Amino acid sequence: MNLIFSNIKYISVTVLLLIFSLGVTENLEAQRLKHPVSRGGNSSMAHKPINRPTSRPASRPGNNTINRGGSINGGHKKVISRNNLPNNKATVNRNRPNINNNNKQVINRNKPTINNNKGKQVINRSKNTSNVKTINRRPGNTGGGHNTININNSHNNININVNNRNHNHRHTYVRHSHRHYVRPPYIFGGFRFYCHRPYYYHPYRPYYWGPYWHPWGYFVRTLATTAIIVAIVDDSNNKEEYHYDNGTYYLKTEDGFEAVQAPIGAQVPSIPSEAEKVTVNETNNYYYGGAFYEQNADGYIVVPATAGTIVPNLPEGGEEVKIGDQTFVQFGETYYQPIQVDGKDMYEIVDVLEDE
Amino acid sequence: MKKHFCFVTLLLVLFSNAQTKNIDSTAIYIIDKMADILGSLESVEFNINTATDKLDDQGNLSTFYAKSSIAMTGPNKFTSTTKGDGGNFGYWYDGDYVSYYSLDENNYVTLEAPETILTMIDSMHMAFDFKFPAADFFYPSFTDDLIESFDTISYKGQRDVNDDKCFYITASNTEKHVQLWITANAVMLPKRIVIVYKNENNLQFETTFSNWVLNPIIPDAIYDFTPPPHASLISILSKS
Repeated sequence: MNLIFSNIKYISVTVLLLIFSLGVTENLEAQRLKHPVSRGGNSSMAHKPINRPTSRPASRPGNNTINRGGSINGGHKKVISRNNLPNNKATVNRNRPNINNNNKQVINRNKPTINNNKGKQVINRSKNTSNVKTINRRPGNTGGGHNTININNSHNNININVNNRNHNHRHTYVRHSHRHYVRPPYIFGGFRFYCHRPYYYHPYRPYYWGPYWHPWGYFVRTLATTAIIVAIVDDSNNKEEYHYDNGTYYLKTEDGFEAVQAPIGAQVPSIPSEAEKVTVNETNNYYYGGAFYEQNADGYIVVPATAGTIVPNLPEGGEEVKIGDQTFVQFGETYYQPIQVDGKDMYEIVDVLEDE
Repeated sequence: MKKHFCFVTLLLVLFSNAQTKNIDSTAIYIIDKMADILGSLESVEFNINTATDKLDDQGNLSTFYAKSSIAMTGPNKFTSTTKGDGGNFGYWYDGDYVSYYSLDENNYVTLEAPETILTMIDSMHMAFDFKFPAADFFYPSFTDDLIESFDTISYKGQRDVNDDKCFYITASNTEKHVQLWITANAVMLPKRIVIVYKNENNLQFETTFSNWVLNPIIPDAIYDFTPPPHASLISILSKS
């Protein structure tokens, strides 16, 4: 037993030394000159050599409250000894010596302090903040599977019933395209966003497909007699029953019916005449109300969105998401890139691939 | 035997990290002086002109020019507005929130932010890839970071930039070659920086500083972001 414990101890020490030698902080760098994170900023200002006043006299002209309580960066910090730099050459030990940990402000780079309660006495200063989203990284998940998108619901402005959000996400995954992408992908956060056409921003304005169509979250107490029941068996072999009426799908709730995203696999006898033909991998699909249909002998079947498909309009229920320097429209797991085709604003479905 | 193995590993660790560098003490003195001056500022305003090389879809070089105006008040106020080929946008940080606004798209992102300029810049860059103009120079450990990151730092004499006498300093490692011009007067401030990315087709990034105003009185309202009419608050994807 002692022998095993002893072995574990030595192996642990060796592994720790090796990890240290590889420089675990190499990736924790910022800006163009890649400053190590632990040196970025200091809120305490405790090291400031100059005794600065914490506030200016009240006699300053005007009513502006001038916050002059500290240096813009907490003061220049010198940790590496300059005494080791005689004349022109010096040997610098790259191990960082004697970092004053008391002065360090360590930033959690994976999770910045967002939506935290700092306990500040702020009167009516709360602002509407943006939803912060992430794409889950799963082994083998390269965008074609059923990705789960995490949504921070604290400031959710989307008109989707929470109970049905999972439903809507589950039916918005994207099929990969077999067409080769000539354009290099847009890269952000370890993901590559492929599109055939260049980014051309235009504001997201939801489109309404006429009086019969209803967006996600729309609630009605009763349905028209023309509505039919469509049964779907989900991934867990659970049977789900939808009500379909004129291009809109509803789930039954306690009080009535709520419009949801078209369930993939739903077979319907007809789709509204307003449905548009869209080309997907050199075949034609039909697009209506944010759903894609393939025609078959029994009518039309709802199919997943396919990367590279260009659509002229998007329904309500999406949200604009800033991804690096670009703004996409997101519906569950589907990202639409704003583009322009022959001078007309359109959207292309993005192929999102995780970096290997 | 195990103790020997650990000892050898420790030696390998120490020797692998201790490398001979060519660090010019004159260059470090000048950079230190500049960093001391920047670190002693309680507020500052300046403008920059940038030129950023990128490769287009065909792999050809394409240079993007931009002009930015920056203002900050320590320890927790920052704003910058940028107009250029890569877009027109601005940042506003009031100590509680940071907002990014795109003039081209008329949309914005507002996030709660850390409590100092540098922690805000650091965390927003890492989480969302926000790129704050000229942020490098305001890291309090600017000189130490150069010493640590570059194998050679040299002072190469004086050169003129826009009729201003400047100290000319270069720094190199396997990935980058940096040229730095610092004004050769009583107030030693950054004048120009050029970074060449050796492993990325020698793409170049250049920033030229102008119109420095040291310790100005800047009203807090400058740092407050008020969304323009019809601007949309949008979501944002985090890198992690």
